[in-house]
Amino acid sequence: MGSPEVEEASLSLDEKLLRFMDQLELMQEKRVALNALIEQGWISMSSARYSMGSKHVSALQYASEMDPLVCVEVSTSDSGDVQFFTERTTQTCSNVCEPAPTAIEEIGPQEQGVRRRNISKKDVPTKDKSDGTIREKTSEVNLTKTNEHSPQQDPLKWFGILVPQSLKQAQSSFKQVIELSAEIASLQTAILRTRQELKISLTNENAVIRLSSSVGEEIKSI
Amino acid sequence: MAGRGKLIAVIGDEDTCTGFLLGGVGELNKNRKPNFLVVEKDTSVTEIEETFKSFLARSDIGIVLINQFIAEMIRHAIDAHLQSIPAVLEIPSKEHPYDASKDSILRRAKGMFSAEDFR
Repeated sequence: MGSPEVEEASLSLDEKLLRFMDQLELMQEKRVALNALIEQGWISMSSARYSMGSKHVSALQYASEMDPLVCVEVSTSDSGDVQFFTERTTQTCSNVCEPAPTAIEEIGPQEQGVRRRNISKKDVPTKDKSDGTIREKTSEVNLTKTNEHSPQQDPLKWFGILVPQSLKQAQSSFKQVIELSAEIASLQTAILRTRQELKISLTNENAVIRLSSSVGEEIKSI
Repeated sequence: MAGRGKLIAVIGDEDTCTGFLLGGVGELNKNRKPNFLVVEKDTSVTEIEETFKSFLARSDIGIVLINQFIAEMIRHAIDAHLQSIPAVLEIPSKEHPYDASKDSILRRAKGMFSAEDFR
């Protein structure tokens, strides 16, 4: 048996090597799952293309305004580990959150207008019609404004209102692929980090072995 | 952009891009610059490389997804990228299945077990 330093270094090296192997195995598993999901997505997309027509599921249908519905949160720990997490902004949330400040501002005058109409009915009945038309116009403007402010629509709608079920299936497959790709990205960085640690440990262990063997030879010569 | 997470960029063939955009990764920023590139038959390697480098330079991109057959065209640029953010992920395409032996990360990991390391 070697010296305790060598044994300790070997154990640490073994532990890192096992971790490295585990990470590689996990990566391979996730890769297989990712490839299967992408394949499933393409099959569903091809099926949708078959029923809709080849030009209806193509790059020509992309919207001119796009906002991401999924983002990646990157967290870096003190030890240097980088983790990627996907964060999906839900459709309802985006629609409610984004025009919220303008909606609050616009509700005020509308309510006032309603109150005025009630008052005007009693006091000035002749101005009733004109007020009503003005209100209708403003409400139309508000509607168009909200439409303009919400490019965060479901990408499915780029391809039509009534899209086939297969296109929805393709979308759900690719949503899973996106989540899985964030996990794989985290694993990739972990693998590269473990590899670096392993390399450093390996050089250290080699140095310890060389040192201990030279000490052993010196003792023998004495 | 402030307070929001990072984006996922895609460089791929039409089906790959369409799929990921369906998933909701697409963005056109204020300068109308997209976070994806649809690679067609007439797309030059220079254009792909420039787009890839521009994605790497953008601070709002966290992951770059690229079809493996396209990654092969700009392998030198991918191998030169050593930072962990943005992470570069090679994915299969319809015509070209994923080959782990070509993957930049796995090739680096495989290099760990070369004869030199065990000397």
